[in-house]
Amino acid sequence: MDFGIQNQTDEQKQANKEYPIQNNNEGNKNQQGYCAFLTIQFYTPYFNVTETDVLQRIQGTFLPLRPDFLNLIRGNPDLWGPIWINATLIFLITAIANLRQIDEEKENQSFVISYVPQATALLYIIAFGTPIILAGVMKFLGVDLSFFQTICLYGYSMSTLLPITILCYFQNELFLWLIIVYGFANSSLFLIVNLKEELDKLQIQKKYIIIGIVVTMQLALYLFYKLVFFSYVNK
Amino acid sequence: MEYSNQRPPQNYSQMDDQKTLDLEESVSETIMRDLRMIAFKLKYVLIPKEQEDNGKELRNWDLWGPLIFCLVLAMTLSFKAESTTTSTKSDVFAIIFVLIWVGAFIVTLNAQLLGGKVSFFQSVCLLGYCVFPINIEAIIIAFFGSYLPFVVKLIPVLLCFAWSAYSSVGFMASLVPPHKKKLAVYPVFLFYLFLSWFSLIV
Repeated sequence: MDFGIQNQTDEQKQANKEYPIQNNNEGNKNQQGYCAFLTIQFYTPYFNVTETDVLQRIQGTFLPLRPDFLNLIRGNPDLWGPIWINATLIFLITAIANLRQIDEEKENQSFVISYVPQATALLYIIAFGTPIILAGVMKFLGVDLSFFQTICLYGYSMSTLLPITILCYFQNELFLWLIIVYGFANSSLFLIVNLKEELDKLQIQKKYIIIGIVVTMQLALYLFYKLVFFSYVNK
Repeated sequence: MEYSNQRPPQNYSQMDDQKTLDLEESVSETIMRDLRMIAFKLKYVLIPKEQEDNGKELRNWDLWGPLIFCLVLAMTLSFKAESTTTSTKSDVFAIIFVLIWVGAFIVTLNAQLLGGKVSFFQSVCLLGYCVFPINIEAIIIAFFGSYLPFVVKLIPVLLCFAWSAYSSVGFMASLVPPHKKKLAVYPVFLFYLFLSWFSLIV
């Protein structure tokens, strides 16, 4: 930038003194535009919550038919919730799945450590990958989806798994299936109700594609949960 | 830079003639100097009374201490891995190692994203040093674990977890704005809880 103005006359130099400053700023902004998502500053606005906000949002997920959640996150979607709810879930899965082993006889005890990478992959792919897929499909169908709001939505929908994981400590098969089905229904309803206003921009048939994707991913998540993590039944 | 009662051992000097002296000293001296530095930092981090200068000593961050504690913990836990878990020793070692470093990275990133202004490595250094109590409990349980019932094993685990969490929470909480304190502290708590849980069940 500086080399370009060396050959100008004094008048032009004076006039251009303001320009380099503006050009520098715009140049920086352009640089930030392409690789912005790799910097920390890009994500800082999405961490603008307090602990009471987070707790309120989690509470909002347990009653899916009321529109509380959308009102809570309107204009201020946050990323803290999705990341740390999933991290808590990974810990709870490992803890509860292994806690069930403690009651076993010493000979049959076998703790499972491999749940950690499996749970990490499963939860984070569903929590962050599905919004990406949804955003892609919606763009393909011609409507824009507010990306971070969807990630926030998905992350908080995982909070239905928190009490379910704790309840999975009990060994009764029927009880486990019941709470898994309840969790699946609750989180699917929550997601669909909160995506409604975005979905209404689409035609009827295309709406069902999106709903189909959402429901399928939730089904995969809950089935995986039951069949892999808590399938162990003794006696 | 302010020092507390003890002076830390001298680090890498900046004058040429002293540099050659460093090269000429024996290997054992160099290693002992580094070990003394690690021990000094450890006492500083884990015993709150030593901190008379509000944590400024932590600006001399180093990653040797965290690495040693991480390796010792991973080795201790993988030692009995095959007899108590369904995974191999190398699986357990890998999981613990990755958990510690990636966990420290993410907890620090979280503090930065919440608006805390701290050097990245300073925070990783602190989190790594606070893994030391978890090391102690892992070794206790590795040696005496098979003789004790589960409930008795919980006692040292909880004590060491409380010690780790308490040491690091003070530092982390001071980094972020007050209304976001709990959001920065909870991940630290989760991180040490995870590690304590592993030392309990393996």
